[in-house]
Amino acid sequence: MNFSVVVSQFWPLLINGLALGFIYVLISLGYTMVYGVLRLINFANSEIFMVGTFATVIVSRNFFGFNQDTDPLSGFKLFFAMGACLVASMLVSGVTAVIVELVAYRRLRAKGTNRLASLISAIGVSIILQEGVRILTHSVPMSNPRLLRKFSVVTFGDVGIRVDTLLVIVFAAVLFFSVDRFVNKTLLGKAIRAVSMSEETSKLMGINLNRVISATFLIGGSMTGAAAFLYETVYENTKYNVGFSIGLAAFTAAVLGGIGNLRGAFYGGLSLGLLEQFAAAILGTQWKAVTVFLVLVMVLLFKPNGLFGEAVQQTRV
Amino acid sequence: MINIRDKGAELWETWNRPKRITFVLVLIGLVGLLPYAGDFSFTSILNTPISSYQAVLVYPVGMFVLMALGLNIVVGKSGLLDLGYVAFFAIGAYTAAILGTKTHLNIWEILPIGMGLAMISGVLLGLPTLRLRGDYLAIVTLGFGEIVRIVAVNNRSTGGPNGIANVPNPPSIFGVRFALDNMKGFFWIIFVMILLVIWMVRRLSIRRPGRAWEAIRQDEDVAMLMGVPILRYKIWSFSIGAAIGGAAGVIFASKSMYVAPDMFTFNTSVLILSCVVFGGMGNIWGVVLGGTILAYLPERIRFINNARQLVFGLALVVIMNVRPDGLLPRKKREKITKVSAKPEGDSNV
Amino acid sequence: MNKNSKRVLGAVAAVTLVLGTVAVTSAQAATKTVTLVYQGPLTGTDAQTGQDEFLGAQTAVQMYNDTNPAVKVKLIQADDQGDGAVAGTVAPGIAANKAVIGVVGPAYSGASIASFPSYKATRLTMVSPSATRVTLTDTKSPDNGYPFFHRVVGNDALQGPAVVRWSIDGVDSPKVYVIDDQTPYGTGLAQAAVAYIKLKKINQVGSDSVVQKTSDYSATVSKIKASKANVVIYTGYYPDGGALAKSLNDNGWNGVFAGGDGVLNDAFIDVAGKAAAEGAKFTAPAVPFETAASAAQQAAFTKATGLKTAAGHVYVTETFNATNVFISCIKLGKVTRAGIQSCVATGTFFALDGKTILKFTRQGEVVGGAPVGGFQVVKGIIKYFGAV
Repeated sequence: MNFSVVVSQFWPLLINGLALGFIYVLISLGYTMVYGVLRLINFANSEIFMVGTFATVIVSRNFFGFNQDTDPLSGFKLFFAMGACLVASMLVSGVTAVIVELVAYRRLRAKGTNRLASLISAIGVSIILQEGVRILTHSVPMSNPRLLRKFSVVTFGDVGIRVDTLLVIVFAAVLFFSVDRFVNKTLLGKAIRAVSMSEETSKLMGINLNRVISATFLIGGSMTGAAAFLYETVYENTKYNVGFSIGLAAFTAAVLGGIGNLRGAFYGGLSLGLLEQFAAAILGTQWKAVTVFLVLVMVLLFKPNGLFGEAVQQTRV
Repeated sequence: MINIRDKGAELWETWNRPKRITFVLVLIGLVGLLPYAGDFSFTSILNTPISSYQAVLVYPVGMFVLMALGLNIVVGKSGLLDLGYVAFFAIGAYTAAILGTKTHLNIWEILPIGMGLAMISGVLLGLPTLRLRGDYLAIVTLGFGEIVRIVAVNNRSTGGPNGIANVPNPPSIFGVRFALDNMKGFFWIIFVMILLVIWMVRRLSIRRPGRAWEAIRQDEDVAMLMGVPILRYKIWSFSIGAAIGGAAGVIFASKSMYVAPDMFTFNTSVLILSCVVFGGMGNIWGVVLGGTILAYLPERIRFINNARQLVFGLALVVIMNVRPDGLLPRKKREKITKVSAKPEGDSNV
Repeated sequence: MNKNSKRVLGAVAAVTLVLGTVAVTSAQAATKTVTLVYQGPLTGTDAQTGQDEFLGAQTAVQMYNDTNPAVKVKLIQADDQGDGAVAGTVAPGIAANKAVIGVVGPAYSGASIASFPSYKATRLTMVSPSATRVTLTDTKSPDNGYPFFHRVVGNDALQGPAVVRWSIDGVDSPKVYVIDDQTPYGTGLAQAAVAYIKLKKINQVGSDSVVQKTSDYSATVSKIKASKANVVIYTGYYPDGGALAKSLNDNGWNGVFAGGDGVLNDAFIDVAGKAAAEGAKFTAPAVPFETAASAAQQAAFTKATGLKTAAGHVYVTETFNATNVFISCIKLGKVTRAGIQSCVATGTFFALDGKTILKFTRQGEVVGGAPVGGFQVVKGIIKYFGAV
């Protein structure tokens, strides 16, 4: 137990926890939206994140030719390079997600079989993506060149709040609320909500199920891709197995908030980011995961559908 | 789509008692002889390159089949998605390692203790969490699996990340010796355990618990309305599954003489679940087949080295797409959501 | 019993007879080729270490086979996934393979312990490039590999004190913070380091263990900053060490970052970024391959592996050295397990540079305890500062 850390390092812990939490929020959209529509744990989402991080790294290294010796950029050049990386990540992750749905889920869904078959199929795709990238990269981590100079925007005593953490928070919040608005206000969003309420009824209402599901995967995947870009901006490293732990955390966040629920993913992600940060500081990093799961169990005991979840229809294996 | 399982059941129905007994005995005899298969040119196709064939039969094949059968009770029979099954395996293994190195108990004496501890932890985990439904249960069990592993990493009495070495081999019984250079003994003991589990599951399936599980799996609310004490039967299913995992853990620890937290990762849970679904959830023979193939395949294709796991992933995707209900799916009748009117049908799972 | 079942029984009896008579004689060991095995994690989550190490073995074998020797060496991979459970399955198979005369590995300590019984029973010699757990060579410990286990890498008890000495070298009133990565390697090294810190009454201001593959180190960084530490010792591998160093630097911490041989790698600079890597200190019982290899060795590396440089791959030198121990014995005409065992146990070998002498003690450690070298990043390049 070490509470003095919390006193002297409160602001960095808070801000870094929020930034991490916002990355979780975006990734957990990939889980929660798919779950909402298909009642299916999208296990491959962690690998979709991994693919996204490689997209950013490859665009900045191979397409722009930046490397570790490149000075950070500024002005329009910075804007353009980072924009290109973001678009690449979102596109690659989104398209991968759609392909995963086509390969691993669609046939199974058409046959109307149990959801566990899809789960195992997703695990298979996950292994393929991870091992494929591992072989391609010779198991070596790749680092992302620093495009954005990491200066402190605000300082509290001897601790500064860095521009990249602020960028993550602001940008992720903007993205989240656009998705939220999209789902709640547009026609396609309405269709997504309809499908998540009842697949059968929405089919009767003339909704093209396959299109809606593909769109869901595209949105969820590209949000995961955006998270991958933000992750690269802060941590600047990736590896073939980068998705596993962060994917697991994001999935936990989705469940914590109430899986299948957009706002739930938001609150779940943020609480998880903060929880991890403060648990690591107070109890020691080795107990972080245990704390997270214990809190999760406690929450589920009192609110069986997560913090903000509506009663999800009874689901069956 | 052909359903080999149904065809097999039809054939079985037409047989009389002596025929059935002969078939079962021959089958048991053939499987019992499996450890020798690697030595003959006729069957040496079964042999695994690089790793020892007899050792492969014990771990992963035998262990995975046993654990898949245990998990099948939880997932296949009662429809509870458990993503942390490896926790019970770990509890059994660590019980054997700690008691085996610190006390004078031998493995046969530790076996019931390990099973008991796994069962108790199953009940303790189940009491609060089995009220949760569907995928919420999945994440809680996943968390439990991780917690057990992390505690093992951070605890002095479990040897931390280094684990515990020198777990004793079991003393011989009926003249069968158990040692690292004699994997046949371990294979046979696991085989006996598998047979016992199969027998137990078949008995339970046609009796009250089996029917209760089936009802819970098909529709929890209806089952509750029909007066099935849901929580009690869920906990039974959970703790029986846990006990089997614990038993596998005890034998595993004494077979490999060494346990470490790395052996009990989330991936193992996922792999065991894959065995269940891949083979055919809810059907004993499917689960046995699934466990055999998924445990054996990566060892058999060791010659392709680097791409070994890639091929494994590919196999999962392809087979699940071609046969979504698994290689040997459960009976069609059981797939209908309506609860069957016939209370005591044939015993075939 | 009816007709059909009799037929079945008859068939079974016939099959059993056939099986019994066609017992195969085990394959004769090839006369012109001997087999070495590399055992380590080649797939799965720890694949990186094994894949990297294998490059060193490949290079050594390539160089030897290129000289067109009378006895060629075949190198095969045994993937134990760094997992004792898998190693317990793989090792008996290797042990039973008569063609195999030596094992380069096992790479991990846990996998080593699980493999020992099989190799001891079949008298198969091991030379490990990276299993550093102290007890492996301790004949009093229950899990030792005597007399078949050897290692070309210094154990944790040697490197722990060295990394502490080297990290606080030139630091006024050092305040040390120790972080391990929860692997057997990382915790072992951290324990050895902490023991030395206690012994020398150095001021340790904190410790943490952060599991491998963690991406976010900001909580740990906050704790380090709160503790006012000016030296951080990280016992783990470079991908995580690099991320930690970067996070420390990004958050405005500027003390000495130090690590063991797991962190020592040119790719550390790439992962951490030049600014964060500058001044970082490492210790290692062996020099990185890309730094120490001669032009011929570099060429052999490229030819064998298809990679331009060994940077980014850990333990290549150690595996090269371990493989060369076997190759030296094969050059002397030792092509049986017994011959290899006595040769490895008593012979004198050379490391990558052709000068450093490798000779094993009775327990299997390098005589004189594999000198631990100190390294530091100076102007973006890892420089060797001699033994520490």
